[in-house]
Amino acid sequence: MRRPPHPLLLLGALLWSLLPLLWQLLTSLRTPEALVAPTPAAWLSGWTLANYRQVLLGQPPFWRYLLNSALVGGASTGLTLALAIPAAYGLQQQGLRLQRLITLLLLAAAKFPYVLLFLALLELARALGWGNQLLALAVPYAGLSLPLAVLLLRAALADLPPDLEDAARLEGLNLGQRLRRVLLPLLAPAIASTAILVFLFSWNEYPIALTWISRAELLTLPTAMARIAGSSVYAVPYGAYAAATVLGSLPLLALVLLFQRQIVSGLTQGSVRG
Amino acid sequence: MSLLLLAPALLLVGVVFLWPLLRYAWLSGHAASVLTGLVPLANGGANWQRLLSDGRFWQDTLQTLRFAGVSLSLELLLGLALALLLHQPLRQRGAVRAAVLLPWALPTTVMALGWRWLLNDPYGPLNRLIQGLGGSPYGFLSTPATTWLFTVLADVWKSTPFVALLLLAGLQTIPPELEEALLLEGAGPLQRLWRLTLPLLAPYLLLAALFRLAQALGVFDLIQVLTGGGPASSTESLGLYAYLNGMRFLDFGYSATVMLGMFLLVLLLTSGLLLLRRGWQGTLR
Amino acid sequence: MTGWFPPLPNPARRLIAVVLAFWLALAGGLALARARRVTVGVLMPAPFADATAELVQQFNRDHRSVQIAVSRGPLDTEALSDLAISSLLLGDAPYDLLLMDVTWTPKYAAAGWLEPLEPLLGDQALAGMAPGAQAGNAFAGHLWRLPLLADMGLLYWRTDLMAAPPRTTTELETIARGLQRRGAVSWGYVWQGRQYEGLSCVFLEVLRGFGGQWLQHDAGQAPQPALQSPEAIAAANWLSGLVRQGITPRAVATVSEAEALQIFGAGEAAFMRNWPYAWRELTRPGSAVAGRVGVAPLVAVPGEQAAATQGSWGFSLLKGSRHPREAAEVLRWFTSEAVGRQLAIRYGYTPVWTSLLEDPSLEAALPLLPALRQGLLHAELRPLTPVYAQLSDALQRQLSALLSDDQPAALAMARAQRQSALILQAAGETP
Repeated sequence: MRRPPHPLLLLGALLWSLLPLLWQLLTSLRTPEALVAPTPAAWLSGWTLANYRQVLLGQPPFWRYLLNSALVGGASTGLTLALAIPAAYGLQQQGLRLQRLITLLLLAAAKFPYVLLFLALLELARALGWGNQLLALAVPYAGLSLPLAVLLLRAALADLPPDLEDAARLEGLNLGQRLRRVLLPLLAPAIASTAILVFLFSWNEYPIALTWISRAELLTLPTAMARIAGSSVYAVPYGAYAAATVLGSLPLLALVLLFQRQIVSGLTQGSVRG
Repeated sequence: MSLLLLAPALLLVGVVFLWPLLRYAWLSGHAASVLTGLVPLANGGANWQRLLSDGRFWQDTLQTLRFAGVSLSLELLLGLALALLLHQPLRQRGAVRAAVLLPWALPTTVMALGWRWLLNDPYGPLNRLIQGLGGSPYGFLSTPATTWLFTVLADVWKSTPFVALLLLAGLQTIPPELEEALLLEGAGPLQRLWRLTLPLLAPYLLLAALFRLAQALGVFDLIQVLTGGGPASSTESLGLYAYLNGMRFLDFGYSATVMLGMFLLVLLLTSGLLLLRRGWQGTLR
Repeated sequence: MTGWFPPLPNPARRLIAVVLAFWLALAGGLALARARRVTVGVLMPAPFADATAELVQQFNRDHRSVQIAVSRGPLDTEALSDLAISSLLLGDAPYDLLLMDVTWTPKYAAAGWLEPLEPLLGDQALAGMAPGAQAGNAFAGHLWRLPLLADMGLLYWRTDLMAAPPRTTTELETIARGLQRRGAVSWGYVWQGRQYEGLSCVFLEVLRGFGGQWLQHDAGQAPQPALQSPEAIAAANWLSGLVRQGITPRAVATVSEAEALQIFGAGEAAFMRNWPYAWRELTRPGSAVAGRVGVAPLVAVPGEQAAATQGSWGFSLLKGSRHPREAAEVLRWFTSEAVGRQLAIRYGYTPVWTSLLEDPSLEAALPLLPALRQGLLHAELRPLTPVYAQLSDALQRQLSALLSDDQPAALAMARAQRQSALILQAAGETP
């Protein structure tokens, strides 16, 4: 009974999402002169790869920021999962009232506008000497991601048949073995969803990275982009911005294409039921 | 034993979320600024008094509310439309979903920089289009009366996919039989939407609203990169004001006070939404 | 031992001992020298880092015990300030010296982040610099900063479109309107009107050109803002009038240095307000206006002296530097006449030393020199106070509203006055 959508509607939705990005791609391939030429008619000339060269050979080169973001993202994801999986399991074992209370607190934290936290976290970084330590960023990132991660994983745990664990216990498996051999494999899809969401969050986080990292070679992608915006007096380097935008989007494009299923189920699953 | 498993996570969450609030509460009772050599000195309620009479704080509060309210409603509307679209049978479902999802996955600063170029006066594509149609270029980012609408546009572009996907999940929980039953009764598409889809989607709508409301009230990266709060501070948000007070004016006591003010605002609005839900569920029962 | 080898003759033994001792001493000396080699970290905006790179290399070759390591920061003044402040707040400033804007000095000094310089460099460190470059380096009785280069607002004009640059505000309007009417240029006058520090600089120049003041210093009283004076309102009104008349594009509310240069460099404007760096960009081969650009002092109303906002960059020594003595040595080298001369010749940086400013041999490399000398005579300092950032921010907000919202000048200035007074009052009350 459901019919495919009108192709024009679909096209509209795709254009709305992709056109701004395609325009960046186009801009990134144009010379500065072509960008400010009085008429855009001269489509045949003014194409260049110089913007990419400028961005990739910058000081530090652009891939450095991608690498930094990937490192922080990986570390945060690892730390978050290492804390969230036991926590979700532990939460599941609590009495009903405590469960509800903790769930409520976690929900509140998951919806907290975390930009509020940067000043106090900056003081924390100072006290602990964590400023300009790339991997130290994983700690606040894990803290910020944990509420959602725990909720997601607990929802997945609740979906497992309750007798499963008892059976495993009867077989004489201890807690570690049960987690490793029984629960983790069954939770794998939920873990994958959680991991990709945490990774995306850490990859994109801005206010904390902005205040914790001041050395150029340690910047993550979002802070580097914001800094590129204020880096040159000599011309308005929109071509270079656009090249940076395109390069900065590519890894995410790949991630989204590869993991869209996990992202969607992660976004939708636990958060609703939590 | 099971509490031990829970403890490390709860501890970290506590340090990251709770400690800052306690710290701000303490700082907001102190003068801690460049004028005190960054040493906190108790100053009674001076920061709070200043907050109450600070026209800029209240202007930014209104601007933040305006931004959050308009972008939230647009995102819910467009997100619903997009979700209904994606719910229909599609070829290349995965690719379409990925394409639609992409704006949400990009870092805010990346896409804010992109919008700065799209809205450039006079060389951005939108102004080129206007000029091509014979108009004169429009100051998208230099007109105080309207620039905030374009910050909303950028936010809607980025966040609608998030809302759409949440709602899509909701749509998928609606049993097709119900819809068929309504169809047999001869209900049109709008009627089906109104009588079946929306009521069943309500918890998902509320969830999306809660998530987006808190994030929109905390808007910071987008504004900082897209407009820097200008023109004439017409797009400055509370988050940006708190940041300026802390990092540029070096007035930590007041920055902490602004953030607490903002926190109270978020608390008030989200609990308002939750109360709304309670009343609503009451009537449903 | 002796059982294994035939005993060596005495002279041979002595020789071996001497050689061994020599190598030991050399190794020890090297180790010592290495241990005493000190690296001085310096943070500066990327263009300055590029400009000084060769000179720094030379320094590092010539000096064994002190090495300079330059970190490149963003150019945008506010972005650099944010960066420096976050490193200082983190308590892990990896730098000894910071190249900073003139307006930051009181704030950084009051925050306790700077080391006073006079104990290291003596009381006469500024002697020999142009008076306009000396100002703004001392605050609260200490010297905190030495300027690397001077900077000031200049009026760029098109030599092919007029015989001589305007000197008064009315002349500028008349010429601009005439040129626009006959279609020679799209715009008359472009300047920095975005809501940022550049707008405060522009306004200060116009304010002084109308005979007004930002802060009023009455003897025995704390300084008070004077933004509601008739002169200040007239100045604000003139700026917004330029936009209303179409002499300045409405988009000026988004224009910073780069955009102004883009418009003027494309030959689309008759006049531009900008800093000295623009000269090299406008005269380099390939520029659309090369050979058709002149530089003059900014305009004023008849009877008032045209002023130029002073915007110099200078070095400060950060507290907590592990080698203040060596850092001071590097600071002295960076700000020396010799480096200043090289930077002037190679990059067109405005020197701060009177001897260089008046050196005729430098004029060949720097045709702008007379205009710069003139500008430094009437350089206008922005208020020297730790709360300058707030004062400037309050002013920018109102000016931005004035330019983009057609607010009456009197209203905007009344608001700016009220907010500035509140800021100064709060600053005065703080224990």
